[in-house]
Amino acid sequence: MPRDRSTSTWLDRGFGLIGALAAVISLLLFVWLIRDLVRLGLPRLSWGFLTGEVEDAGRSGGIGPLLVSTLWILACCLAVVIPLGIGCALWLSEFVRRGSPVARLVTGGVDLLSSIPSIVFGLFGMVFFAQTLKMGFSILSGGLTLACMILPLLVRTTLTALESLPADLRPASAALGLTKTTTTVKILLPAALPGIVVGITLGIGRALSETAALLFTSGYSTRLPESVSDSGRALSVHIYDLALNVANGGPMASSSALVLLVLIFVLNSAAVALSEHWLRRRHSFS
Amino acid sequence: MNCCGISSPPEPNPESGGGCCGSANLCIADLSVHYRDFEAVRGITLNIPEGEITALVGPSGCGKSSFLHSLNRLTDLIPGCRVSGSVHLCDGTEITHPKADILDLRRRVGIVFQRPNPFPQSIRRNFEIPLKEHGWKKRDIPDRMEAVLREVGLWDEVSDRLHKSAVALSGGQQQRLCIARALALEPEVILFDEPCSALDPIASGVVEDLIHSLKGKVTVVIVTHNLAQARRIADQAAVFWVRDGAGALVEHGPAERVFSSPVDPDAALYLSGARG
Repeated sequence: MPRDRSTSTWLDRGFGLIGALAAVISLLLFVWLIRDLVRLGLPRLSWGFLTGEVEDAGRSGGIGPLLVSTLWILACCLAVVIPLGIGCALWLSEFVRRGSPVARLVTGGVDLLSSIPSIVFGLFGMVFFAQTLKMGFSILSGGLTLACMILPLLVRTTLTALESLPADLRPASAALGLTKTTTTVKILLPAALPGIVVGITLGIGRALSETAALLFTSGYSTRLPESVSDSGRALSVHIYDLALNVANGGPMASSSALVLLVLIFVLNSAAVALSEHWLRRRHSFS
Repeated sequence: MNCCGISSPPEPNPESGGGCCGSANLCIADLSVHYRDFEAVRGITLNIPEGEITALVGPSGCGKSSFLHSLNRLTDLIPGCRVSGSVHLCDGTEITHPKADILDLRRRVGIVFQRPNPFPQSIRRNFEIPLKEHGWKKRDIPDRMEAVLREVGLWDEVSDRLHKSAVALSGGQQQRLCIARALALEPEVILFDEPCSALDPIASGVVEDLIHSLKGKVTVVIVTHNLAQARRIADQAAVFWVRDGAGALVEHGPAERVFSSPVDPDAALYLSGARG
């Protein structure tokens, strides 16, 4: 017997209501988080806070040197992980046969890497970069450790972007007598760029919010770093320290967290804008 | 021995001797294509006359496309695909030679596919990338691009938006762009793999007229399922059929003769519309 029409309508309404409720709860969580951060953190935000030295273990003063350290760590990380991740994905997608033993070995290894907890990367970074390679507690050690952590993410997103390109691009290019290098660099990479940028922005987000991997590698120093071999405290480590180890550090932690959030937003927007600008330039004749 | 009377493969040198096939531009001798254990095409021997349009017709799955793709070594891209026999260009260059310069070969023997496949970049970049790759000077590229876009009748439609994406063009315009892109490299032969079957009737007519206009300028080999189209444009016709599980050439010759009085019984039934 067919179901009563009114029952179907009620079922649809009920289902819609549950979905709407879930959406509202998700939105509320986000709004709540931002509201709390702004309420607790905004009063202390000032130019002096952004540029000032850390004073009284972070209870007063600003976060200037930490912002510099954070950006240095991120720069070291991206400088290593972008060529490595894109290179690895290109090799897997264009130069080895899909499903071959060597391709399976590399993708398996990369996937395994992505399931390792960040604290383990921190320990690895401390032993390998800081001690074995004698980089010490430094911005470089921290950046390289983050690069190891983000590598699988970038390889995966780049690989997915390359594999989802139209299948007829490669024969089209081969039919014109183009070399594999030209095909890869001038045709496939630009076409996959939007997907690669998504990977990089996700990576930036993860790198900036990472604490555990940096605790043992880039160190705690709140001084302004003079080079990448100096120790430097990242913003995320500072927030962790203020919230956990410093009495009455809560309000300053909120202010720092607000700055971190804005920083992630600004860097992600910049990455997207840059890639769009680059694509536009490629489209028009230079 | 192949059709050109060359028993040993010559060095793949474009300067080596000329006109071994007489008026033929492509000499194909005993060409077979295997996909691992499966024989898709068996023992094709055929001369493609220079400057004429040769249509390959036959039902689906009889090896026309495999045969066509082996003529500029695109079959190399397919894992497990093996080609035996020989294909020579009229200057003696052996396409099937293992040491042939594949990149230059694909410039000399271009191909246009069933689905238009412009690069997802600007119209201009679609020409700039291949022309630069084959040694054209940067300052000569705009003129070359304009000349071929005019040749395919696309210049007036796109001259004010060369910086816009090529994939924003209509299907028919994209296909003409792909033909222009192949023509830009000054090929001797262009292979067409069902170039109109993904287009609407009007765009299809435009592309057909364009292919027809290439007669005398470049050697054309076209695979088509549209017998009326083959009749309209072809000088030579070759009918493929499945014989003993593999694609084979059952009839070939001047198009008029093949279409009006085919000798092979399968070809006769196919061309009359009774089979296939």
